[in-house]
Amino acid sequence: MPRLDRLPQISRNNLLTFPAQVNETAPFVRPGKPLAGCRLAIVTTAGLHVRGDRPFTPGDQTYRVIPSDTPTADIVQSHTSIGFDRVAIMRDINISFPIDRLRELVTRGELGGLAPYCYSFMGAQREAARIESATGPEVGRRLAAEGVDVALITPT
Amino acid sequence: MLARALELTGISTTSISLVREHTGKVKPPRALYVPFPFGHALGRPDDPELQHRVLRAALDLLLEPAGPVLRDLPEDAEPGDQPPAPPQASGIKPAEQVPDDVAMETTQMRRYHERWLEKSGGRTLLGLTAIPATRFRGVVRFLEGFADGQDVDMTERPPELPLPNFVRYCADDLKALYFEGHLAMKPAAGGEEIARWFWGETGAGRLLRRVRDRLDTSDDPRWKAAAFGIAR
Repeated sequence: MPRLDRLPQISRNNLLTFPAQVNETAPFVRPGKPLAGCRLAIVTTAGLHVRGDRPFTPGDQTYRVIPSDTPTADIVQSHTSIGFDRVAIMRDINISFPIDRLRELVTRGELGGLAPYCYSFMGAQREAARIESATGPEVGRRLAAEGVDVALITPT
Repeated sequence: MLARALELTGISTTSISLVREHTGKVKPPRALYVPFPFGHALGRPDDPELQHRVLRAALDLLLEPAGPVLRDLPEDAEPGDQPPAPPQASGIKPAEQVPDDVAMETTQMRRYHERWLEKSGGRTLLGLTAIPATRFRGVVRFLEGFADGQDVDMTERPPELPLPNFVRYCADDLKALYFEGHLAMKPAAGGEEIARWFWGETGAGRLLRRVRDRLDTSDDPRWKAAAFGIAR
């Protein structure tokens, strides 16, 4: 879903009129090694950040840095759209930021390791030119400098 | 779009998608479409097995030789007991009797919230205003003055943060206090049930409807946006 036919009318209209960019092809970089040797970072659009860091505002195209060893009790969400159910993330942050699951994959040897930092953007962007041209590439360069092979991109 | 920007810098990305219609247009390099409601990207809270199945499916896309790839979660993962999208305030009729003294109600709710903090190991979504829960009576007084049309402000508002944004953070923190407090009382409650209780039966819900109404009377789009974000 949200299967569009199951959403309230107002949410459905919001989605159907959303000005999604239309592309025909995609850049594509194959990881140079198996996942068990890769370093992974979460890059989320759930509007998460460390408590005390500057909250996002709607339409905010900046990003926040979340050190991967941040206790989950210190992560908050300023993407507070009432179009989605926040009770799920109140119960379990892994619903959008699966940091505990990824640690389990590292322990099992299925994933090489976690990057030192994860990154977060605001979701529900109707206009994201700055993310595309400036803040997105900036995070990409930071990830590359931190030896990251794979970014897992998660919404809320 | 974010995935494309990262991939262009040499990072391999895999994305979880909640809106197939949009992802099909934007074409990120690799995306897994999941049939879950907004707020449930990894499936269900406190269900590590389902979360691992989703993660595995997303990470498996990294093995694809070429892209873009948009794949559906390859199993009958739709659990069948999915929570409905939470109802909006406008769809919930307020009860005839709701507490008048919101500050008192908030103080009571804070006790439940303390229980929530004990259970959750300190995890809480409260914290956008940086005002501690112990001082939420002041937040309530501020919102009441605001809803009444008074020219009110709080010293805790950072000078660069516009008033309507601060009002929204106050409303969000108040909701977090109540929603998480309710979870401490009724651990099995879902988003729909809690929304019906909050907007229908609490004084705070009624107060936030009034805050919304004042914001919405403004012609300033920032005020209108805050109104739309608090209740609709």
